[in-house]
Amino acid sequence: MYRVLQPFEYLEAKSVDHAVELLTRLGPDARVIAGGTDLIISMKKRDLAPKALIAIGGLSELSFLEATTEGGLRIGPLVTHAAVAASEVVRERFEMLAVAAGEVGTPQVRNMGTLGGNVCKAGPSQDTPPVLIALEAVLTLRGPHGERSVPMGEFCTGPFCTVVAPEEVLTEITIPPLPEGSAGCYKWCTKITKVDETLAGAGVVLSLADDGTCKDVRIGLGSVAPTAIRARQAEGMLLGTKLEPGEVEAAAETAFTECMPRSRPGYRRHMVRVMVKDAVMELKEKIVGDSTSSDPGEAPR
Amino acid sequence: MNEEFSVVGKRIRQPDGPAKATGEAKFVGDLRMPGMLIAKVLRSPHAHARVAAIDTSRAEALPGVAAVLTPDDLEDWSGFDRGMKDMPLVAGGYRIPPEEQVVNRVARHYGDAVAAVAAVNEHIAEEALSLLEVEYEVLPFVLNAEEALRSGAPQVTEAAPGNIGKHLSYPYPEGDVDQALAEADLVVEGEFQTTKQDHCTQETAACLAYVDASGRLNVWSQCQLAHLARRELANIFNLPVHKVKIMTPFVGGSFGQRGALCAEPVAVALALKTNKPVKLVFSREDNFLGLESRTGFDNIHVRLGFKKDGTLTAIKTNMLGHLGGYMGCGPMASVIGMTLSMGHYRCPNRYGDADMVMTNIPVSGAMRGFGNDAMMFCIEQLVDEAAEKLGLDPIDIRLKNTKQPGETASMGLMLESSYLEDCMRAGAERFGWQELRSQPKETEGRIRRGCGMATMSHCTGAAPLYLEHSNAMVKFNEDGSVNLTVYPAPVGTHIWGALSQICAEELGIGVEDVSIVTGDTDITLFEYGSDASRSTYAIGGATLRAARKAKEQLLAHAAEMLEVPPDQLETRDRRVFSKADPNKSIDVGEVCYDAIYSFGGEATNFAGKQSFEPTWNSPTFGAYFAEVEVDTETGRVCVTRFVTAIDCGKAINPMAVEGQLEGGLQQGLGYALTENFLVNETTGKVETTNYDSYKVPGTLDMPHSEVIIVDKPDPKGPFGAKGVGEPGMVGIPPAIANAIYDAIGVRIHSLPMTPERILAALAEKDD
Amino acid sequence: MKTLANFVVNGEPYELAIEPNLLLIEVLRDELGLTGTKHSCGVGNCGACTVLVEGEPVLACLSLAMAARGKAITTIEGLAEGPTLHPLQEAFIEVGAIQCGYCTPGMILTAKALLDKKPDPTEEDVREALAGNICRCTGYVKIIEAVLAAAEAMRKGAAR
Repeated sequence: MYRVLQPFEYLEAKSVDHAVELLTRLGPDARVIAGGTDLIISMKKRDLAPKALIAIGGLSELSFLEATTEGGLRIGPLVTHAAVAASEVVRERFEMLAVAAGEVGTPQVRNMGTLGGNVCKAGPSQDTPPVLIALEAVLTLRGPHGERSVPMGEFCTGPFCTVVAPEEVLTEITIPPLPEGSAGCYKWCTKITKVDETLAGAGVVLSLADDGTCKDVRIGLGSVAPTAIRARQAEGMLLGTKLEPGEVEAAAETAFTECMPRSRPGYRRHMVRVMVKDAVMELKEKIVGDSTSSDPGEAPR
Repeated sequence: MNEEFSVVGKRIRQPDGPAKATGEAKFVGDLRMPGMLIAKVLRSPHAHARVAAIDTSRAEALPGVAAVLTPDDLEDWSGFDRGMKDMPLVAGGYRIPPEEQVVNRVARHYGDAVAAVAAVNEHIAEEALSLLEVEYEVLPFVLNAEEALRSGAPQVTEAAPGNIGKHLSYPYPEGDVDQALAEADLVVEGEFQTTKQDHCTQETAACLAYVDASGRLNVWSQCQLAHLARRELANIFNLPVHKVKIMTPFVGGSFGQRGALCAEPVAVALALKTNKPVKLVFSREDNFLGLESRTGFDNIHVRLGFKKDGTLTAIKTNMLGHLGGYMGCGPMASVIGMTLSMGHYRCPNRYGDADMVMTNIPVSGAMRGFGNDAMMFCIEQLVDEAAEKLGLDPIDIRLKNTKQPGETASMGLMLESSYLEDCMRAGAERFGWQELRSQPKETEGRIRRGCGMATMSHCTGAAPLYLEHSNAMVKFNEDGSVNLTVYPAPVGTHIWGALSQICAEELGIGVEDVSIVTGDTDITLFEYGSDASRSTYAIGGATLRAARKAKEQLLAHAAEMLEVPPDQLETRDRRVFSKADPNKSIDVGEVCYDAIYSFGGEATNFAGKQSFEPTWNSPTFGAYFAEVEVDTETGRVCVTRFVTAIDCGKAINPMAVEGQLEGGLQQGLGYALTENFLVNETTGKVETTNYDSYKVPGTLDMPHSEVIIVDKPDPKGPFGAKGVGEPGMVGIPPAIANAIYDAIGVRIHSLPMTPERILAALAEKDD
Repeated sequence: MKTLANFVVNGEPYELAIEPNLLLIEVLRDELGLTGTKHSCGVGNCGACTVLVEGEPVLACLSLAMAARGKAITTIEGLAEGPTLHPLQEAFIEVGAIQCGYCTPGMILTAKALLDKKPDPTEEDVREALAGNICRCTGYVKIIEAVLAAAEAMRKGAAR
């Protein structure tokens, strides 16, 4: 592989609107660059060869992390994974997102890479998308014709493909408040070593009704399909049930069949089953409150 | 030999520490010269293809491109021995036609070099690569040894008909192994597969070569065997040896990979073609594809025969290994592997053979352990199996078969010292072996714990199979300080410190009084180099004897000055003193100055030069203990604790010995569990060409580990030292494998022991 | 086309004319001759090219030089003060945490960032902080030991 980059023009956006204007003018040969880790690797591999890079890393209007009064979160796309993982407000409100962000790459990569960059790359093997899907995040895009919102579940259309038009810039990741009395966690396993790409990840949000049955459950699966997905059938199987081990295992088995992994398919499906089961059981215990541990995110060994 | 040493045995700081800690230390890639060109290699995208044509015109026309190298440029070359070692007793490489391995007319594996460019900077060089137009005639390929041996299989090279690179035999057969197996009370046998592991030196291959105005070829090289590299490059490029100068700056790790020429041939070829300095630095992908990595074995069939009481009576081995597209150091892995492993225990009936087969994958070579690791993975699991069947503790069965000093060691020489028993006992105690083994086994629960152990012995230097020729020169300076001229590979093993300690101890001066002079074939005498865990032992042995010679001269002169016969003098703390009357003494520096600044016609500079070739080989022994947790639902193995107990003779610097063992654990863990060199079976493409897909253990993967140094001296080593470079990793995979068996009752016979393999084995067991 | 770019490296200002496609590692090594920052994997996995930008460990091989303009960059060459080594450098040497030395600059800088934030880290903290730095020689044992030793020395008020 190549160690250096092919030539390109480097432009600094003065504002989001300026970035949009540049993208519109320069066309699909231009790309925005934030942290740059993914982009530069792709450029080194010659998978991408943009003629112009529009630097948005300095735009403070894209770097914010605000709690909403309703209990949600507004995150600017330039917030780094390190900042998300360390943020007290993220840990308090959506700890599974902090955990997932804390698993992206290495410490150095987390200092550089941004949440927005990660989401827009839409790689099939990522940690934040299954969590954002389970959290039902909404993404705001700004283009030459104004702004639009896209639910996370509709954002990725295929590996490395999103609905973002060439002239659009992601401006916000909005996380709505969780239902009352719900809890979430992110379970994942890496491919081989502890610091490694994710082999399979499950972001799960669970709410129980007063009688202890499952009122709502969202299962976001990552790295087991061309994009992060919701395991809708598995979710459907759990609704209204008491989440007995047998019921949870059956749902996990269903989640297993909803995946379409390309490589190491047998083991990935198997791990989805294990993680969905582990996540649901752990969240059930946590909500009911008779658990000794409240660790919301854990990788199996 | 229980005397107290002044500097030997101390945890001294390394002289190169400050340079490395400040970033001042230069590696080949850091070097620059005026007018220097940057080279890049074009690699084949096919596993097997003939280069029908290369159009270099567009690349050559690019401004800044100085030259393109194709096989046409190599017509004048002489043959090239990848193995480089020229040793009759060892099955090394074969002398390959020159067009067959630097840049090639036929690409014999994915990533094989087919052309190279040199340009004024890296950007232009990379662009030039993309402008080379190569017409490939794609050929059928074969990726594993079994298929390569079938009739009708694609032929990897005309030089190996039927793809048989080498058929080799265990060099020390004894007895009648088939008879012994027939008569044995218990036979345990198994077939195993071991993987091709990449060295993953943090510094990739690099070379800076230039021809100076006098026509000498100057080469900044990373080669572990610098004098051999000098001769080999002289051979290839038809130069007399004195016209080639090899220089070695700091090298970022080696582990055996740099015992062959790496970036040198292409860099030198381009330097000769352009008449400018040429620097070639491999990318990480170049490293995975273009260099030799550990020889993998598609099948190792081992049979062990035992008596009821646990006495080992027979070992029979058949190995089937793959060499890759060229024959490098790969064949030797089978010979060394069999030699060291089959001679580890006492066993009167031994036989082994190996078929090493050409395949269309990157080349197999030498990596830390050199086959001993693969073989012990098999043998130590079978020994454990026998122990279980015979109702013996794993340690007891091994103790029963441990060789004692006086017996014949694995390379046919007499075993001078062995503290393997001490290793097993000390390791077991530190590990808590008895307590852990006596705990009731968990048969339920998702996470199962287990413990396992293994032993091994490894050579210290490879006498009598290898050339063990080392040289050292010690000269005293005017102030009593010393320059020590030696040429070990500066790859990070703390060897300079060890040699300084040996020199200083012998001379009775301080470690800080010794400066190492090294890294240049012009100023050093012949040195075989660093491999086979030999540096402290052999280069240290030369150092010790050279120091002794210099000391004799010092004492002879001091005798005159003190008016005491030389044999009544000794040195310590930088002073020469009379043994009978220690108050009668003189500073070493004063004696040296007196000899140098002498005006009567008798001036002299004390210096000792010693050629040294150990004809003995003092094996190092080790016992390894692993504790694992296996998640039976995910198949993941977590090594929680590891204890290594080593008998490497006297530890010249315990810190350095620990470093070798702690580092070996990382590589052993990778070999056992995480490192998987993958080739796509459909396309022949190597899929693991960087650290994103080829995973080496990081800080979060390492267990809590402890090292015990038995520290009892060997009679032959300098101050009793033996080697320790390789033992650090040999015993790790079988210890982990045995621990996995203890945890979940299944044996994994393939490396790496992946979660899928473990789940499959568990499923099979449940069926 | 080259532009004039201003860098601040180890406290020193530099004005360089560079192409925009240069990576920070190229500027440091090739333009400024600071070869302590090393090439190794190039894809963000090994940490050999780690430098500190505004005190945070980042990968110079995946950073555009243009994006690093005006920011305080620290390379391994900037740690010692003349002949006085930083406590981390001292500790690495004392404890034997340096073998081939190729990963050392990245390790020391990453560790420095940790200690600047967390002067009293646990062993687990050190492992986590160094999880993106690969060493093939030491097995990490003495590296972790050195970082903890340096932390103690720094808490006791060493030179820095």
